[in-house]
Amino acid sequence: MLKKRLVGVVTIKNGWAVQSFGYDRYLPLGKPECLVENLDRWGADEILVQVIDRSVVAKSPDYELLNKLAQLGIGTPLIYSGGVNTIEDGIRVIQSGADRIVVDSLLHDDLSIVDGLSNQLGAQAIIASIPVKMGRYGPEWLDYRTKLSTQLTKELVDCIAKGAISEILLIDWRHEGAPGRFDSELVHQFPVNNVPLIAFGGVSDIAQMSELFSHPNISAVAIGNFLNYRENSIQRIKEDLDSPILRPPNYAAESTLLNNV
Amino acid sequence: MGNHASITHSLHDIGFRVRVDKDPAKLNQADVLILPGVGAYPVAMDALKERDLVVYLQEQARTQRPLIGICLGMQLLASVSYEHGRTAGLDLIPGEVVPFSNGRGHIGWNTLKCVQSDPLVESSDGQAFYFNHSFYYEGPAKYQLAVAAHTSSFSAVIRSGNTVGVQFHPEKSQEAGKTLLKNIIDGLVHA
Repeated sequence: MLKKRLVGVVTIKNGWAVQSFGYDRYLPLGKPECLVENLDRWGADEILVQVIDRSVVAKSPDYELLNKLAQLGIGTPLIYSGGVNTIEDGIRVIQSGADRIVVDSLLHDDLSIVDGLSNQLGAQAIIASIPVKMGRYGPEWLDYRTKLSTQLTKELVDCIAKGAISEILLIDWRHEGAPGRFDSELVHQFPVNNVPLIAFGGVSDIAQMSELFSHPNISAVAIGNFLNYRENSIQRIKEDLDSPILRPPNYAAESTLLNNV
Repeated sequence: MGNHASITHSLHDIGFRVRVDKDPAKLNQADVLILPGVGAYPVAMDALKERDLVVYLQEQARTQRPLIGICLGMQLLASVSYEHGRTAGLDLIPGEVVPFSNGRGHIGWNTLKCVQSDPLVESSDGQAFYFNHSFYYEGPAKYQLAVAAHTSSFSAVIRSGNTVGVQFHPEKSQEAGKTLLKNIIDGLVHA
């Protein structure tokens, strides 16, 4: 049986891992590779590294960071987000060690490039990042660069429906960093039903995770800084959830960074 | 196209020396050939053709040189794929690569079920591995060592002689993946 996944998220701004609050405030946490190494050691099902300042200033993906992460030799699938603006960017990100890529600004700017990425890399490698908030008529889609929210466009819905992307990272951006505040209505009212959703933004509570995992459209729950408050947090969450729909907790790996201390 | 860094690290971790190369003269020095792969089937076959590796790999398989295909690399071992049209594969293990019936990918951790007794994989029976693919191998049952369940049961590990394909990513399947990779390599080298 295909398991549902617990995804660990590391958010990076100006080269540092940060805690992000509502796409607005940021607190530094430390070196990204340390947090990634922890998530790998704790047995995360996937690790999402999102570099949030690349597309804002029209930079390409952070290959230097990807190279650093590749040197860690992590055994956990890696998802990369940030600055993928061309097909060549996507190919190079995968060649640099990522298993999958997230597109966000491209969904607003040029869906033909999303199609091209899908043709080159396979749809399974492409995740659409869709930050939303509940509006009067349902979820409203944020362009994080302009801070403006609109209804999902027909072009985007068609692109998703025809299979160019494999999953949607559904972000409750207003509640990002707010414990237990993810708005489940976003999942219930999201207008696209045939693509698996990864819920992210304010998910920290076990009961809430359990409720999200029970939704048929949810393939994964992504958690950011809430994982950093205690050692072995991934395993502990899995133990608390105690669900056969998740892979059992894994305590096997040792820290390679600690070996150098 | 492949994620060479991950597979290289995994192989180092389990005690093997690794060389990433496309030159047959260099590849001839290896005990085991590994064909990783990420991306779309036609693009990958074109890349093999550009590097003059199609006939080379077919000859190596024919002489029972250990060869392991990973993810797309496993699919390339098959006769043909229908991803983005029809593309002939390496034809080392008879079978076709076809899309899942729901038109969607199979992404995440899934458990392996061994369907033949083979020391290469039987100790991994029931363990979970990381899959990330939209197409899968469909072929004669005699080549199937292990399956996984999705829209239906599909081939997760296939074998013909010393050619083995794994649909999942052992290099991204944490300890379970390293153990399986070591068992396959040791098993093929000492076969």
